[in-house]
Amino acid sequence: MADIIVLEKMNKFYGTYHALKDVDLTIAKGEKVVVCGPSGSGKSTMIRCINRLEEHDSGRIVVGGQELTDDEKKIDLVRREVGMVFQSFNLFPHMTVLENLTLAPRLVRKMATGEAEAIAMKYLTRVRIPDQANKYPSQLSGGQQQRVAIARALCMNPEVMLFDEPTSALDPEMISEVLDVMTDLAREGMTMVCVTHEMGFARSVADRIVFMDQGEIVEVSTPAEFFAAPKSERARTFLGQILAH
Amino acid sequence: MSFDLSLIAVSLPKILQGLGLTLNLLAVSTLFGLILAVGILLMRLSRRAWLIWPAKAYIYFFRGTPLLVQLFVIYHGLPQFGFIRQSVLWPLLREPYWCSVIALSLNTAAYVSEILRGGVLGVDKGLIEAGKALGLSKFQRTSRITAPLAVRLALPAYSNEIVSMLKSTALASTVTLMEMTGVARTIVADTFAPYEIFIAATIIYLVLVWIIQTGFTLVETYANRHVRKT
Amino acid sequence: MSVLDGWWDDFFFGLMTVLQVFFVALVIAVACGLLGASAKLSKSRILRAIAQAYTVVFRGAPELLVLLLFYFGMAITLTSIVQAFDPSVKFIDLPPFWAGSIAIGLIVGAYMTETFRGAFLGVDRGQIEAARALSLKRHQIFRYVRLPQMWRLALPNFGNHMLSIMKDTALVSIIGLEEILFVAKMANSLIHRPFLLYMTVALIYLAMTTVITFAVGWLEQRANRHLRGAR
Repeated sequence: MADIIVLEKMNKFYGTYHALKDVDLTIAKGEKVVVCGPSGSGKSTMIRCINRLEEHDSGRIVVGGQELTDDEKKIDLVRREVGMVFQSFNLFPHMTVLENLTLAPRLVRKMATGEAEAIAMKYLTRVRIPDQANKYPSQLSGGQQQRVAIARALCMNPEVMLFDEPTSALDPEMISEVLDVMTDLAREGMTMVCVTHEMGFARSVADRIVFMDQGEIVEVSTPAEFFAAPKSERARTFLGQILAH
Repeated sequence: MSFDLSLIAVSLPKILQGLGLTLNLLAVSTLFGLILAVGILLMRLSRRAWLIWPAKAYIYFFRGTPLLVQLFVIYHGLPQFGFIRQSVLWPLLREPYWCSVIALSLNTAAYVSEILRGGVLGVDKGLIEAGKALGLSKFQRTSRITAPLAVRLALPAYSNEIVSMLKSTALASTVTLMEMTGVARTIVADTFAPYEIFIAATIIYLVLVWIIQTGFTLVETYANRHVRKT
Repeated sequence: MSVLDGWWDDFFFGLMTVLQVFFVALVIAVACGLLGASAKLSKSRILRAIAQAYTVVFRGAPELLVLLLFYFGMAITLTSIVQAFDPSVKFIDLPPFWAGSIAIGLIVGAYMTETFRGAFLGVDRGQIEAARALSLKRHQIFRYVRLPQMWRLALPNFGNHMLSIMKDTALVSIIGLEEILFVAKMANSLIHRPFLLYMTVALIYLAMTTVITFAVGWLEQRANRHLRGAR
């Protein structure tokens, strides 16, 4: 399988704070990777570097054959192929659901409105809320908003989807409706990188689990290995805390 | 035409002769305005329509009309009535100084009561509920929770209002008072050097604004010391 | 109100003058506000410094002083320019209408600078990131994400600035423009009913500011319609 994301000796600083330390990670097309670790471990920073919402300070990031540098054109090429879902949804509040979904296809892919709307409705159906197309984000529940955000990213027909703690801002009863959509997406063969604490999702969907702590990748294992016998002490402690409740 | 820098230097001390009156107007009107504002605020926050309604009308009138017009109504307008001229207030109302103080105080009171109301409404409802749950009386909740937090929330807007008051004192020059702008206008009438004189006056006002803002920043820092990050 | 008979048409024309000053000053203020805000947000240190000086001076100096400076200052400047060509000219002034409109426009423009700047920065960072993640270009983010929301964020302050402009028009009577306060002064010198006359002026202004308040309220309701179901 071809490698779609390659991170090599990547470092990231915030001032003097060393946020990511020599991160090496390769993700193949079609792979589903779950990134977990305690808060402040650098997991969000790492996936935000993959579409250059954060700039790395040293090392290499290659996405779909394009190396990320200051070159704006390449950044745009990468962002077109990489969809992202945020913890706080970040839907545009002044646009309807349909307008949120068609904005980028129209502006970036230069798609005609009718075509963009047809695609938007297809993905809204897939995330199971086609009936909400003409509402504004504030009229939807959190779970519905996050599903709209997933559909918005899918409308660009990306090669890879990044999820940055997609269920952390949701009420418990809404988490499963979002995870179900993500599980469907995984079954269809989408390449996914998910930062999440949902260990049930990780166990059933992930090909590999990346455990991070203090800016480093501590361990990379299959879910079976990771949950049965974590290699590192830090991962054991983390699992103990997160599975305790 | 020539621009004479030395004229600015010469006129500064002359204009500063009006500084005392400017500060006097500012201080006296700010004080009266604040007292009045608290009264209007209490009326506005009460649950009685016959108190709320006049407070609203007061705020509506004084915020909806120009201060200059209010000043003219008081200074030029009130003497139209015989009963005013015969009243005990006449010794005050015929003085341009007191007319300016009255106009400035009445005007600022309308704004300040709304600023304070914004502060009161901004206090987190949860804190007031916590006070209730702890068994504090209504008076205790108001004096220990609502008022201190409301004042902190209102401080930035209040400092803007003081700056705005300082600028408004310049209007007293239209009713013959010789505060800084009045002095500057007199000098301009003599020298006909408007740029130099008015710029000199502007410099003094800007320094005063700076002092007011710096002072309020210090007060705000002190008042918000409980949220300061270490 | 029969004592005011014969003066209503003067008040009417005075009001037309007020409205003209209001609209011209509003256009100038919006232009200055947009320029000032772009300068404050620009990468150029010089532009930022100029914009900073502009807002400090025009928000700190009394409105009356700025107005007098403009009116008398421009008169001196214009006179000396014209005298250079034709020494026989004694005095030329910038018409009070323009001196007043420009002065008020510049003053309120300084406040609008801060309002527009705040509205630009007030759009949630997460949305900007989402737009970047969708690979929208910088100008597209401005046009489709920032601008439509800036309007909503700026509206309440913008309304207050419009009220300021309306009330500041009263100052223009001091430099001799025949607006309603000036009309009242003229009428008073003949019929000696100062309270009635100045109160009439106050009520006309109250009507104008009420109209502005309602108009802004209506615009705000429209701008916030997507938040209807907000929970």
